[in-house]
Amino acid sequence: MLRDWLGHHHGRHDSPVHRLPAAAKLWTALTIIAGTVLVPWEWHAWFIAVVALLSLAALLSRIAIWFLLWRLLLLSPFVFGVVLVNALQASVHGSWLALAARSGICLFTVVLLANTTTFGKILSALRSARVPALLVTTLALMHRYLFVLLDESERMRRARASRTFQRQRRVRWHLLGTVVGQLFVRASERAERIYAAMCARGWK
Amino acid sequence: MHIPDGFLDGKTAATAAALSAVGVVLALRQVRRELPPRRMPLLGLSAAFLFAAQMVNFPVAGGTSGHLVGGVLVAALLGPSAAIIVLAAVLIVQCFLFADGGVSALGANLFNMGMLGAGSGYLVYRLVSSRLRGLRGQVTGVAFGGWIATVLASIGCAGELAWSHTITWAVAFPMMAGVHMVIGIGEGLISALAFVAIARTRPEIVAERTPASGGSLPGGVLRYGLLVALGLAVFVAPFACPWPDGLESVAAKLGFEGRGASAIVHAPVPDYRLPGIHSAAGATALAGALGTVVVFGLALLLGRILVRKPVRESTKDPSC
Amino acid sequence: MSGAIAVKGLRFRYHDGTEALRGVDFEIAPGECVGLLGPNGSGKSTLLLHLNGILPEKIAGDGAIRIAGQAITTANLESIRRQVGLLFQDPDDQLFCPTVEEDVAFGPQQLGLSGNELLARVERSLGMVGLSGYGHRATHHLSQGEKRRVCLAGVLACEPTVLVLDEPTSGLDPRGRREFKTLLQGIPATKLIATHDLEWVVELCSRVIVLDGGLVVADGSTTEILNDEALMVAHGLERPHSLRHQHPH
Repeated sequence: MLRDWLGHHHGRHDSPVHRLPAAAKLWTALTIIAGTVLVPWEWHAWFIAVVALLSLAALLSRIAIWFLLWRLLLLSPFVFGVVLVNALQASVHGSWLALAARSGICLFTVVLLANTTTFGKILSALRSARVPALLVTTLALMHRYLFVLLDESERMRRARASRTFQRQRRVRWHLLGTVVGQLFVRASERAERIYAAMCARGWK
Repeated sequence: MHIPDGFLDGKTAATAAALSAVGVVLALRQVRRELPPRRMPLLGLSAAFLFAAQMVNFPVAGGTSGHLVGGVLVAALLGPSAAIIVLAAVLIVQCFLFADGGVSALGANLFNMGMLGAGSGYLVYRLVSSRLRGLRGQVTGVAFGGWIATVLASIGCAGELAWSHTITWAVAFPMMAGVHMVIGIGEGLISALAFVAIARTRPEIVAERTPASGGSLPGGVLRYGLLVALGLAVFVAPFACPWPDGLESVAAKLGFEGRGASAIVHAPVPDYRLPGIHSAAGATALAGALGTVVVFGLALLLGRILVRKPVRESTKDPSC
Repeated sequence: MSGAIAVKGLRFRYHDGTEALRGVDFEIAPGECVGLLGPNGSGKSTLLLHLNGILPEKIAGDGAIRIAGQAITTANLESIRRQVGLLFQDPDDQLFCPTVEEDVAFGPQQLGLSGNELLARVERSLGMVGLSGYGHRATHHLSQGEKRRVCLAGVLACEPTVLVLDEPTSGLDPRGRREFKTLLQGIPATKLIATHDLEWVVELCSRVIVLDGGLVVADGSTTEILNDEALMVAHGLERPHSLRHQHPH
């Protein structure tokens, strides 16, 4: 499931929205989110305008609407929970509707951004915004090797499953620890090899 | 525990973001100073590792696994500063690529899980492992630290939600703390198991970060401690502290009562003045303290089980 | 002289004390294509990592290794790494940038290239490996064969005189192997290839060096050594089929 999530972001989609410069999309998204979070609920004009803008962008992006809404739904359990609690509490101000609306709009913005902009371009935008290089490099390497590690963990899981003949609750915890530990060891060894490869091509 | 957008109001989000920013700047400086160049790619790889490790848990532990943070494990292996950067990277990717955690709440989430959580967990780890020597002490430290980290992070989360008037403290605190006291057990357990597995297959990774004898905490750790304390003061203390009562009794003794004593401390949740809640708060505190002691005992037990012969060299675990 | 490798009395010990190399000697003339064979654990990868100064961690500068006549020292590491291009066993270790063109550009960028010159170099290198137009592709989406070719492009972009390859055909399908062989044949640099793929070595290399237990146990023409069944078996190898058919029995 995670694989197609990440894969879809770099799918062969193309649209006017995809082609917009990443920095512009990033700053627009951030403005929308900041505004939606801070603006009082009574300023209906803001919310209407934002929803209109997002709908237009979603349409122009040519991404299937059911896809975007499905993503939205998947991310909502925490939102539902807190909204529910809030709705049941009369003592705090701010209606549950406002809460749900704000969260929903921001969620949708991020989903749209993630699906129309490749991560690499977001990183370049961050770099030009002078985010510290160490953090950007960490993000880049993380993104690059996410699949690799997920693949490794999947292979380990399959190998384990092939030798598991019974289901034992207690044993599972122990295996979990071993798998997690193994993953770190492999990540650490790979990090050393990457460093060697960087040095081999002149990294100072 | 990832707070979405819209749940925190402006002041809370901004305060948390400011605290986080300070923490990240400190962490970056520390890492640039301390981490040898050949370890730099390890930051990115550890972030990918954390992410993958969180995925590994999903099918096994059901609802609880989604909250595994792994911050204390990374802190024990790479140091608290590196752990903060790694967690920041994980949270940023989760936020922007998966909309898991709001953009405006990024500061708060990082503060909760990174500084409050992993920071305090690391402090606990250092304290425990300096008192109990050897691998056993480290394992106990990781286990207990992982639990403390989870619980504290959830309390910070509750405080932030309450300060934003999204949910009241009276509901948020028991809900978050209660649930995470259970989740934290999983976090501590998995962190400890993983730590032991790493110590057995690649002991040099663990040895690099083993605290030198003396047990004194380096200056950087104290700075994080300060940040943690500040955050607790801002997000938790106003709700959890019985100050209103304390101040009132002082005011009564000094004859200030009635001179608008209620204006001295503006309690965000008026329920605090009720004697019923006061004793309930006391009961909660007692339960919390008991729970902590029990979990520490469990952590000690775990250390004993996992590290049977503290003197022996590392041996391959036969059951895997 | 450029592109010559001279190794004399090379020793190396790991942190845990095991001696990986116990006095390795050989010389390779410019333009030669030499296969490096040996069983697992013979020290092949360790040896390769010495050729561009990644090992030992503290360079001794004692002249045990000379590239184009120059001993490897901490002072001339940059120049050595420009001359010696190393292709790692796992392409994922080497492809650490998010897109193909960023990765191929990494090396030349470290060497100081930028702007149009950099772009041209990247384009040329991709063309050399038959991956023109792949610039914008994400590295994690490529097939094994494509990954290896991008790695090669990234190394060629630094214009090395010596190419050192660690198991370049592992994980490749027959077509991939064939294509890679053709690619390598078209590159004039001196080549040292560590591999288990004996059939491939027969097609590509005129000379082989056999390493076992950290020492060179054989060094000579491919057909001569690979036909020596006893020698092959004694060092964890075997006589390749393609050579067997050349003999009456």
